[in-house]
Amino acid sequence: MSIAAGTDLGRALCIITGASRGFGQAVARHLSQRVSPGSAFVLAARSGNDLRSVRAELLQEYAGLLVECVEADLAHAEGQARVISAAKQCFSADMDHVILVNNAASLGDVSRYTRDFTNMAEVDSYLSLNVSSCLCLTASTLEAFPQRPGLRRTVVNVSSLCAVQPFPSWVLYCTGKAARDMMFRVLAEEEPDVRVLNYAPGPMDTDIYASAKSRTADPNIRRSFTAMWDQGQVLTCDESCTKLMKLLLDDSYVSGAHIDVYDV
Amino acid sequence: MLTLGRGFCIITGASKGFGRSLAHEVSHLLEPGSVLLLVARSGSLLEELKEEIYSFTDKQQLAVHCVTADLSTREGVTETVRVAKQEAVTELDHVLLINNAGSLGNISTFGSFTDIEKVNSYLTFNVSSALALTAGLLQVFPCRADLRWSVVNISSIFALKALPSWVLYCTAKAARMMMFSVLAEEEPNVKVLSYSPGPMDTEMQEDIQRQSGIAYSLFPCHVSAAKLMKLILDNDFPSGKHLDFFEV
Repeated sequence: MSIAAGTDLGRALCIITGASRGFGQAVARHLSQRVSPGSAFVLAARSGNDLRSVRAELLQEYAGLLVECVEADLAHAEGQARVISAAKQCFSADMDHVILVNNAASLGDVSRYTRDFTNMAEVDSYLSLNVSSCLCLTASTLEAFPQRPGLRRTVVNVSSLCAVQPFPSWVLYCTGKAARDMMFRVLAEEEPDVRVLNYAPGPMDTDIYASAKSRTADPNIRRSFTAMWDQGQVLTCDESCTKLMKLLLDDSYVSGAHIDVYDV
Repeated sequence: MLTLGRGFCIITGASKGFGRSLAHEVSHLLEPGSVLLLVARSGSLLEELKEEIYSFTDKQQLAVHCVTADLSTREGVTETVRVAKQEAVTELDHVLLINNAGSLGNISTFGSFTDIEKVNSYLTFNVSSALALTAGLLQVFPCRADLRWSVVNISSIFALKALPSWVLYCTAKAARMMMFSVLAEEEPNVKVLSYSPGPMDTEMQEDIQRQSGIAYSLFPCHVSAAKLMKLILDNDFPSGKHLDFFEV
């Protein structure tokens, strides 16, 4: 049930991970255009320099916008704590919406097959960033900003087709995305007042796409990535973000649903 | 098919509960010259199990090896792979790996999971370990057309169904289901099955009842273990499929 359905996302605290480039950067930009004055952004990523560029870009459009950059490795408790701390500092009592966009992710090594992942530390490291950090940051955010009347809470998981379809030579990415989708489905079941969206943004012109195209071991997957690129079927981050914004503004999705860009 | 053939079978979490039942079921289905590797943290329980199996089976027919290993550690996984390599026999029809070891984790509200080390620790045991072990054993017994390879993922209805307060368990089981689906897509010579065994009379179920207050109507482990064995013997499912005790 949305308070200001369709028009804007309210006076919002927006926390975006992986906000320094690619889809995360686009999300920051698009959200900034749809929130009311008095909103604040917490942008988290490993690259402080890139975050500051994104911040500058946002401030050019909206000079009064509060934007905090947190250079952090989200796979560590210390990085998580700094994001939450920044969020708490940016929050004001007259805000009516907290939006967390779990976007930070890595592709993992797609040049190898499942039978080659004998190194447990590599798998642990991957899951720590792509699964654990997402669970902990979301849990911490919900604890930091508990349910209260007049406060909407929205959690977005940047998902993928890979959450629902196995891709040969993509075991880490598929496993992580499937794990995340389920994690957020559990959240949706547990917390009916939190709006939870598993959004699969489609193939976009990002660094992840470039890696996928050049390094995928499976010949069919690699061919299809190249073909999509050559045939102009790869979306810009802006195109996909526009769809995400529509979903958020309409606010009529079933909480916990997996929605693909092509469904919108 | 009436037997598993001359097999090399590895069962993790073999010391108790479902894993222990599987060890018994499998031992009756292996042909002479087979090897059974039982993996768990408790060496003494494994030795007891080995003695039980030898009370039914001739040592000449079946070599049973106990691997005391903590599969939440790299050392535990590499030790298991090392023993498999050491005990591998050349004349094999079938390699069967049953990834059964797993834990429930805390049943607790979503918001309680703020400690990344604890979540990492859970995922290491329940996800990373199964991947690294499966990969390690695929390297020990490389796929070839004349070697039957079966990988079982002991799954759960909660790989598919989200249950409030069960975020760790659901997340790990969903992760495993996808992980083994990718394996199935990649390896035409490996038959992959995700099997959800249903609620059984195990310590895990006691833990579920203690933590959640929910008491399911339970089946004895051997009933579900027998069903799983029948699925493997009949071999009548597409690789990567997720099957539930109640469906078969």
